[in-house]
Amino acid sequence: MSETLSYIFHLLIFPGGLFALLFGLLLKGIDRKVFARLQRRIGPPLLQPLFDVIKLGRKETLIPATAHKGMFRFAPVLGFMGAMVAAMFIPVPGVWDGAPGLGDMLMLLYLLPIPAVALILAGSSSSSPFGALGASREMILMFAYEIPLLVVLLTVALRVGYATGGVEFSLARVVEYQLAHGSFLLDPVMLPAFAAYLLFIPGTMGSVPFDLAEAETEILEGPLLEYSGPSLAMFQLMFALKMVVVTGLGVVLFFPGTLGTNPVVNLAWFCCKATGLMLVAVTLLRASTGRLRTDQTFRFYLKYPTGLAYAGLGLTWILG
Amino acid sequence: MILKDRLKNMAARSPWLYRINAGSCNGCDVELATTALIPRYDVERLGCRYCGSPKHADIVLITGPLTTMVRDKVIRVYDEIPHPKVTVAVGICPISGGVFRDSHSVRGTLDEVIPVDINVPGCPPRPQAILEGVAKAMEIWKTRI
Repeated sequence: MSETLSYIFHLLIFPGGLFALLFGLLLKGIDRKVFARLQRRIGPPLLQPLFDVIKLGRKETLIPATAHKGMFRFAPVLGFMGAMVAAMFIPVPGVWDGAPGLGDMLMLLYLLPIPAVALILAGSSSSSPFGALGASREMILMFAYEIPLLVVLLTVALRVGYATGGVEFSLARVVEYQLAHGSFLLDPVMLPAFAAYLLFIPGTMGSVPFDLAEAETEILEGPLLEYSGPSLAMFQLMFALKMVVVTGLGVVLFFPGTLGTNPVVNLAWFCCKATGLMLVAVTLLRASTGRLRTDQTFRFYLKYPTGLAYAGLGLTWILG
Repeated sequence: MILKDRLKNMAARSPWLYRINAGSCNGCDVELATTALIPRYDVERLGCRYCGSPKHADIVLITGPLTTMVRDKVIRVYDEIPHPKVTVAVGICPISGGVFRDSHSVRGTLDEVIPVDINVPGCPPRPQAILEGVAKAMEIWKTRI
């Protein structure tokens, strides 16, 4: 009984649910502010994404007459729920050890594509040619960036389980190992895997230069074109949650150090590290590059992040 | 009630802008596209943001005299914008026809077809005037959201 209650708490309040939503909106606000400052503009206030979501909740929802109404309404809910459940599995080192169980890395591997699938469903069900184009681009992009993620997760699992001769798929064990032996960021053997993960983040978040699925100038926002009101608000929340999950996973996989034993301090340190990862992988890249074409993105992903990931896996296999 | 008012105030701080070109010569459009977002006159600090779809829009900026070729299409795109919305006519063309006043393709002004809330006069209007028009539109928007 208390285990069920603790699951519900972890899903709805911390680290999923309320905490992930607010932190995700704050992350997005920091991204927009820093992006504006990099362009020598003033930029919106930090809580702007929260205002956007509240405003969208008050507008009316318009559904195209030729759209598939059930799927159109269901897609944002699916993405939101998938991202929220994924947020529940991120351990916060020093505050919470992660969902009990031995396979949460594999769970995340299944849960992380759900927001992208929701975008594809949204684009396909909206009966708009722009939506269909955006959905097909997102499908192509998914093939590109899922491989580096899989190989990076395998590399970390192999590294942590090396002493026992197997692989270790529990994020809690990954955190324990790094707290005992030093973070993987400082380990030259894991650097290719870290570089591959850094390149995976903008692809999965759909941020420039890999934002071709929601290109504003080319396909008029693609799958999100026909959405308005509360459904669009749910998509914005889904993006915010996904940012928390992806940066939080990066922190846990590569540098989950704690600062003493005070849980508040550790939580703040975790948030700072996640913000730093986002600033490097998303904001800096966004401010300094333009959009790549579909074939350029696909070719890039199959060459560099996948190559780096396999190099990391090979190094870990040989050197342990 | 306090919570409702706070939510309404927060919602009023994020109007999204959408631009419709109703047969304009593009002068006002260039002003909207290039000067409103550049560092000197940043419109994002007001909380605004250009969006790519009429379904995401709150404040719609319409430029150009309503030519006969584009009339039905502008009405159709305007109907795609969900309520509540505020209409800003940028430039003198939407209201009076501007330099195209007695042209063969301009038959009537914008406010005969679409309820216009704010007009920013000028040909093209200065960036500061456009931003003031957007700020005034935000005040009207605050009463409607």
